[in-house]
Amino acid sequence: MLPLANKERAMAPKSYGKLDLTFQLLRGKTRMVDVYQQPPLKASRELYPEGTGDVTVYLMESSGGLVAGDRNEFRIHVGQGSSVTLRPQSATKVYPAFNDAPSTQQVTVKLEDDAKLEWNREEVIPFLDARFDSKTSIQMTPSSSLLWSEILYPGRDKRGEAFAFQECNTHVDIWIDDQCVVYDALHLHPKKQELKKLGALENYNYIGNFWCFSPKVNLSDVHMDSMLVQQDNHKSGMTTLESNGILIRWLSNSLPLLKKEMDTITNYFNGIVKEN
Amino acid sequence: MNKQSADLSSLSNIEDISTNLLYLMHIHDSAFPIGSYTHSFGMETYIQSDEIRTKEDLFEFLKMYVLENLAYTDGIFVKEAYEQMKAEGWDALIRLESICDASKNAVETRDASRMMGKQFLQAILPVFPNEHLKKWKQFVDEKRIKGHFPIAYSLYTVEMEFDLFTALLTFMYSSTVGLVHNAVRAIPLGQKAGIQVIHQLIPEIHKATKLVMERSLEDVSNHAVGLELASMQHKYLQSRLFIS
Repeated sequence: MLPLANKERAMAPKSYGKLDLTFQLLRGKTRMVDVYQQPPLKASRELYPEGTGDVTVYLMESSGGLVAGDRNEFRIHVGQGSSVTLRPQSATKVYPAFNDAPSTQQVTVKLEDDAKLEWNREEVIPFLDARFDSKTSIQMTPSSSLLWSEILYPGRDKRGEAFAFQECNTHVDIWIDDQCVVYDALHLHPKKQELKKLGALENYNYIGNFWCFSPKVNLSDVHMDSMLVQQDNHKSGMTTLESNGILIRWLSNSLPLLKKEMDTITNYFNGIVKEN
Repeated sequence: MNKQSADLSSLSNIEDISTNLLYLMHIHDSAFPIGSYTHSFGMETYIQSDEIRTKEDLFEFLKMYVLENLAYTDGIFVKEAYEQMKAEGWDALIRLESICDASKNAVETRDASRMMGKQFLQAILPVFPNEHLKKWKQFVDEKRIKGHFPIAYSLYTVEMEFDLFTALLTFMYSSTVGLVHNAVRAIPLGQKAGIQVIHQLIPEIHKATKLVMERSLEDVSNHAVGLELASMQHKYLQSRLFIS
């Protein structure tokens, strides 16, 4: 069954999804003033679940995943004073690479002064034999705030796939004005690397990241120890970054626990960032 | 150009090359005051949790350190700095330094690399008052750069006209051997065990150096996530022998 399905996919035309969203603060409410969408990417309408001027938009992908050579591009512009939450509706599934063509994703974000963006939550699942290149570049200013969470899966865990992909490369850079504050890349090539070794990924399957930059966070007041459980199948570390930034990174074999902690941490920082 | 470099430009025989190598050995001597004996870069967390207990554990861990960490991080910064200094000059080097800083997530590891770089410049400049190194130190003093060790080291090797492979190989060697010495004290292990581990690591260091020679900035990767978490957790250890 599976090889046939793969063959059909291999013959499908390459797709090039695009989603350009521009947000502006208009009379106390954040509005999505400009949308350009090219299938399979699509944005939901503006939602105001909190009953405030903060907008939530779901990011939708109608094709079911990236096939070899497919590309998705997101361009997000958050205007001055706007407050935006973006929620990918589903995980990005990356199908096997044929003819060695990788699937690619590019996310470009620009935050103006006093803007706030929460990206909740980027999840990537590279399937057996997949090749994936993802690049995220975020340009912000000292007065803007960013909360960013992401989980990298080892494969379709329910099928017992773990690090069966060919390669998975993710890259995140974050700039505050012209200072580079994050330059974080993960290049995973399971067949060429010794990822299971102590100090590398060890016996853990899931990698989680939470990044936060905000002038409203006072690092000496941040107390997260009680929110982060350390146990045999799950561990994490927290570090401060340049320019008042924080990174929490997880290695875990418990996806529910990882998601729960990520939500708790996101809510905690949301509370701080949204305080006046 | 100062006397040392001038002498090197007229190298004519193997004696000169070997003598010149002593300058490189000198800065890689574990007694050279850059403070490597005070940093474990997260290794101490694993020693305290008993995950590194024996010489076999230590070898496996350091093999990972060389191939999955150094060869994807600092090794690449040494190589890129060496090539950019030769080809492109200060602006490219300053940009590279800021990327080096931003790529080190764990604050203790980031600070350790900055401290060692600054101490290296302080130790070398009085005996090797080279104009380019002085300028680099001035950038540190003006806070234009942070002073990271791999870049400062690379600058020195360019000025001393060492070839890139030798500069890189010895950098990988001393970074790893420094950790062996520290582990021997912290676990503790006997001197003999330490020597054995170093001997076993030399082929891995050679292999990793050859890999780095083929890599560039876009290959930088933080996939030694366990070590990064260990470095983040280090400050919470109850008693510590090392700063990082």
